[in-house]
Amino acid sequence: MPEYKGMVQPARASITELRKIHIEPVPDELKPGKAVEYLDQLRKKFRSFVLAMESCTKCGLCAENCHTYLGTRDPNNIPTNRAELIRKIYKRYFTLEGRWFGKLVGAEDISLDVLEQWYSYFYQCSQCRRCAHVCPFGIDTCEVTFIGRQLLHWLGITPKLHSTTGAAMEKTGNHSALPKPGIVDTLEFMSEEIRDEFGVEVEFPVDKPGADIMYIPSSADFLLNPYTLMGAGMFFAYIGANWTIPSTVTEAGNFGFLFDQYSTQRGNVMRLLNAAQELGVKKIVWGECGHGWRAAKMYIPTLADRPLRWPITHIHDEVANLIRNKELKLDPLQNSKPVTLHDPCNYVRACGLNENMRVIMNACVTDFREMNPHGADNFCCGGGAAILFDDPEMYQRRIMFSKKKAEQVRATGVGEDGDGILCAPCSICKAQLYPMVEEHNLGVEVKGLIDLVGRSLVWK
Amino acid sequence: MKLFIGQILPYFTVTIFILGMIYRLGRWAGAQIVHNITLSPWPQTKGQAALRVGTEAFLFRNLFIYDKALWAGALLMHFALLNVLIGHLVGFAFFGTQFALIPGLGITTELSKAMSDCFGSIFGIVLFVTLLYLLYRRLAKEAAKLVTKPSDNLWLLYLLVLVGIGNIMRFVPNYHIDYVLVHDYVTALILFCPVVHMELLNNGFFLVHLLLVQILLIVFPFSKLMHVFGMFAERYIVNRVYHDPAPGLPNVDVSAARQAELGIPDGILQGRGYK
Repeated sequence: MPEYKGMVQPARASITELRKIHIEPVPDELKPGKAVEYLDQLRKKFRSFVLAMESCTKCGLCAENCHTYLGTRDPNNIPTNRAELIRKIYKRYFTLEGRWFGKLVGAEDISLDVLEQWYSYFYQCSQCRRCAHVCPFGIDTCEVTFIGRQLLHWLGITPKLHSTTGAAMEKTGNHSALPKPGIVDTLEFMSEEIRDEFGVEVEFPVDKPGADIMYIPSSADFLLNPYTLMGAGMFFAYIGANWTIPSTVTEAGNFGFLFDQYSTQRGNVMRLLNAAQELGVKKIVWGECGHGWRAAKMYIPTLADRPLRWPITHIHDEVANLIRNKELKLDPLQNSKPVTLHDPCNYVRACGLNENMRVIMNACVTDFREMNPHGADNFCCGGGAAILFDDPEMYQRRIMFSKKKAEQVRATGVGEDGDGILCAPCSICKAQLYPMVEEHNLGVEVKGLIDLVGRSLVWK
Repeated sequence: MKLFIGQILPYFTVTIFILGMIYRLGRWAGAQIVHNITLSPWPQTKGQAALRVGTEAFLFRNLFIYDKALWAGALLMHFALLNVLIGHLVGFAFFGTQFALIPGLGITTELSKAMSDCFGSIFGIVLFVTLLYLLYRRLAKEAAKLVTKPSDNLWLLYLLVLVGIGNIMRFVPNYHIDYVLVHDYVTALILFCPVVHMELLNNGFFLVHLLLVQILLIVFPFSKLMHVFGMFAERYIVNRVYHDPAPGLPNVDVSAARQAELGIPDGILQGRGYK
């Protein structure tokens, strides 16, 4: 169902697909009532949601700071208006002003149409937190769309992309449904690639008992971004680490974070902790994945059902640390094309990776040009929160959502000669930007940050 | 009317205001901070966190960075409002002599009264004008227009009327009210004494002003005006101290690895003869 009453919507999961992630869809006639019931449960739990519902003064500052509104000029893509889609129901059922002065404060009765609005607009939000960063009060629309998506999921309204990805994770331990033999084969192939291209021997140990470090790559790195995984492998080999990739969790992402923070996200967390325990590792290092890193760094402590025994860091943290300690020998001339850095939202507004990415960038490229704005102020790629839908209507939206990013990249001039590099160290950013740099004719190639590190390591 | 607005309603107003505040704040406190959603880059100390929240609360930091016009309007409005509120309190408590009470400044009582008048006039006008600007902005600026609900405009109109009446009492000599009259009125209310006979309540503007203030206070805990507290509650969640776990990989010795030429085909350990 790509459109409903003029609203674009991602294709939905079928009943069979929903059952694979343990959801029994609520019949349509019961949906509105259940929605209010679930909303009541959720609002009593999440203060961040309550405050987003009750503190906004509608100053409108978020409007011009949201790439979805800038790209589409659709009023419902203004962060506060996106939140208003749920706020109007919240006011109507849970506040005095909404019950008594409904029209004045914009309260509205629940209906199927409202749920369809939620489905359309909460899945146009990339949960990038730029509105929270800019809001004078720090109101986080992310917290609203998290709840909205959770609620829709409980009702049985979930995008096909998200539900099948969630199910694949449960079945195989990664989003790409790669079985263990496929993983081992791909990694062997990568070893060969590295030998051919860089002339060094790198092994990718899988399920190695007694390994010290467990590396969690994004599964997209096996297929779409091989140089990121190869870069990580080269890095670990270079520093002589005793590392391994667990075959049960070959996924840095956690789609549960994006549509089901109760069951799916928690399930993935426990799966990770089980793997760490079985392999007896000492530390977990995370690969390039924006939402996945936020879900790991900030949510595992509150989602783990057991005490957390392993420190978890990001590979960028570790690389930057070794660069600061002058332990890595890097040759920036190996990356002499002009490079600009797209800051993944979750890295800079939720995980504090801002400086470390720049430490790495400055150490391994010769011509680094910052975007404007950059760092915590940077805009989303337009695909955040896995809104990487391929239905034609949603794909058109993705082009619009990336308009601001295209402007930013163009303004740096890195693609002027058609050989620039757009470094986007996050699997969702990469998946969004691979087609978008073509759609917008930016003259750049999209790469990860560890790709650049691997390329510039000086082995001898 | 005088009996209702001047004598009876104030007690209801105060009661509803206090209970309402407890209800609303309790409602916020009842929900948890479930996950850590602090915004990075993070403050590293409580002091830094307080500074961040403080600059937002008192200088409107984000508005300054991202929208200078709104920053100017909003900051001036709130600053004037704060001064008007404080002015009401100290004015009625000290009859305008408050500045003379500050030791070491050498301000005479006469001067203090003049200053009190002067500040009151300035902030009364600034408040009115900035409220007008904010209303204009909601009606004229595209992004603001798109997010505005009728109640947002009504609140601004309400405050404009309330402030407007206050300004009439300040600037039109016929309706001017002496501090002493209000002082006596409030004192009597606090002591639960009858006030209906008081001269003050014959001033129609005062009566309307008083009524509007009371309605405002009654509605306050249930309205968007709670954003003054909501702001702190929200920032308490998103501006938290966070320390990164220490980097450093277990059993990794980079210089030893490089000396052993790990990964290099002709190296000591992995020399498989591949070139």
